[in-house]
Amino acid sequence: MAVAEKATERRPTPKRVGRRRRGFHPGKGWLVLPPTAYLLALLIFPIVLVGMYSLFLLTNLTGVIATFSYQDWLDFFPDKWTFFPPWNTDSPFWNTFTKSMGITVLVSLLTTAAAYPVAYFLAFIAHRRRYVLLLVLLAPFFTSFLLRVLAWQVMLNNNGVINSLLWELGLRDQGNAVSWLINTWFSVGLVLAYSWIPFVALPMFVVMENMDRRLIEAAQDLGASRFMTFLRITLPLSLPGVIAGFVFVLIPTTGEFITPQLVGGSETYMFGQAIQDLFVGTAIDWNYGAVLSIWLMLIVVVLVAFSARFLTMDLREET
Amino acid sequence: MRRMDRRDFLKGSAALGGAVVLSGCGSSSGIKADTGGGASSVAPVTYGGDVSAEPNKLVISEWPGYEAGGTKAQTYGLLAGKSYTKKYGASSLKFADYGNDDKNLNAMKAGQKFDLLHPCVGYIQDYVNAGVVQPFDTSLLPSFGNLFPEMVERGKVNGQQYWIPWDWGFSSILYRKDKIDAADATGWELFWNKKYSGKISMWDGGSTPVEIAGLLSDPPAKEPYHMTADELDRAKELLIEQKPLNKFYWTSEYGNMQPAFKSGDIWITYSWPNDYKDMAAALGEDKVEFMQEPSQGILAWVCGFMLGKDTASPIHAHEYVESFIAHDACVDLTNLFAYGSSDSTVQVSEIKDQELATKLKIGDPKALDPPTHLEQWIPNRTDYQRVWAEVKAS
Repeated sequence: MAVAEKATERRPTPKRVGRRRRGFHPGKGWLVLPPTAYLLALLIFPIVLVGMYSLFLLTNLTGVIATFSYQDWLDFFPDKWTFFPPWNTDSPFWNTFTKSMGITVLVSLLTTAAAYPVAYFLAFIAHRRRYVLLLVLLAPFFTSFLLRVLAWQVMLNNNGVINSLLWELGLRDQGNAVSWLINTWFSVGLVLAYSWIPFVALPMFVVMENMDRRLIEAAQDLGASRFMTFLRITLPLSLPGVIAGFVFVLIPTTGEFITPQLVGGSETYMFGQAIQDLFVGTAIDWNYGAVLSIWLMLIVVVLVAFSARFLTMDLREET
Repeated sequence: MRRMDRRDFLKGSAALGGAVVLSGCGSSSGIKADTGGGASSVAPVTYGGDVSAEPNKLVISEWPGYEAGGTKAQTYGLLAGKSYTKKYGASSLKFADYGNDDKNLNAMKAGQKFDLLHPCVGYIQDYVNAGVVQPFDTSLLPSFGNLFPEMVERGKVNGQQYWIPWDWGFSSILYRKDKIDAADATGWELFWNKKYSGKISMWDGGSTPVEIAGLLSDPPAKEPYHMTADELDRAKELLIEQKPLNKFYWTSEYGNMQPAFKSGDIWITYSWPNDYKDMAAALGEDKVEFMQEPSQGILAWVCGFMLGKDTASPIHAHEYVESFIAHDACVDLTNLFAYGSSDSTVQVSEIKDQELATKLKIGDPKALDPPTHLEQWIPNRTDYQRVWAEVKAS
């Protein structure tokens, strides 16, 4: 009790309240003004503009008067839907969307699966060297993203590093290149996965690093094998990191256009490229581009909302 | 003063947002139907005043490779523009990548401003309609009288000289003579030949691939630059059929087309005469061919300069254009890039590579007459672009 009394003594005297203020004293409400203005100007307003373009309330087409129309939305959605595969409809842009989502989900799954052992190694095996190794993992990402993709071009080209190596080792005839290494879905998937592995590994590492090790020890004390301990303790507890990592890849890759542009081919056209082409490329139509942009935005919002549920729930209760 | 609570703040924000949105709507009401031309007056334009009173600064939207001689950006040794940079200094010039006509036109429509730009003949009307350019004062261009009258005429809209022609050439198929059977190399159908699947690269050129497909479709389009809806549908089907045969659609002449051709990744591509010159130099003339007479007709273009509407330095801009259309600069253009120039006074004897000059019909503007398909204004360009977009997305 003496300690409590001492603490009370040390507590600073509260300032007098209710004193009449002089001059201009903005309330706390004003503090939200700068970020709100920022969001309004740079996020909400552009989205509203894009939305207006999507409904033909604005247009960049010369000689066309802007009047409300949702025809571009109708054009985007197929008249005849197909489910196996979903990219066989009568709407080319819907087909591009579903194909892109397919490759995006596949890349995200593969990247997450590839990053998990990396994060596990850093968190549980690397011990003191883990931060050095983490830095090594991140080192290539200190250079420009564009340069790294271009470096992959050099590696994968028909006359690139990999094909030259195969020729030198006599594994293939000179000049007979493995042509599917570049300008295919393989090259697009590979480079996308490479680009995102560290970003997926990071949240997993953080979750594993902060895991309560006593639970693992307890499982082992109770006779669980290493595999069972991993399956029943480590894996469930690391799931928020896994989901966060998965979402970290999924969201940016849905709109990706640089990678397919540089290492893809005519058959690997992605949704992000379609948006880019419709706004600043060779098939310019801002109204239709706006429809695609808004749709992509809606999909991303749904994905975030869906994944947020898993990120916030306490998985320990379920184990 | 009453403190602003959250509710007040949100009300204020909504009002502000609404005002901003409405101002955006206001701008949309300014979009009017085309009148089909720019200036209504036909009186010649004159720019008075002293050049020294103008800012010594030009921002130019230019195709890579055509930057003025004497600037750091010019790495091919082009003579054109050198007299200008000598007089006003290289640092007075800033270049933006023109990209392609569609991209640049839309960038300017969206508010990007250039003092000068380098569009091709098919887009003159589009730029004038968009209201982003102004006419030249030809009295400020001493070499203007030397230009081919047929080309000059194409640059006139409503009696005003909106465009000064400078370079022209053909667009055709560049292919590996040592890899392609001579019997297959007869026309544009080479792009559709499954035998060379994976070794083909069509240009990601918006309306151009559509025009090519129009020439090939059955029955062929009567006017590749004025295709009807049915003709466009047939062209689209053909392009979708051709799509999987490409290794990639090339987007940059020097960035991905030439390197891939040089390395043997592709054997057949859409190209221009300078590409033939470069690839013949790199691989040997015995290995490379530029198809001069595709059975459906070769494509051709003429490009030139337009003056940005809001330029603060119109007299500088005229001097810059003059440094390009001057006789010596035009001779150099042909010698360096194997393109024709708009200067009618260039003699065949001034061209270094006589054989190439004959082969590419340089110095003979009659070569632009039919059956050559010289680029024209496409009134329904957006339909062409939509076809190309759908082909890529298919």
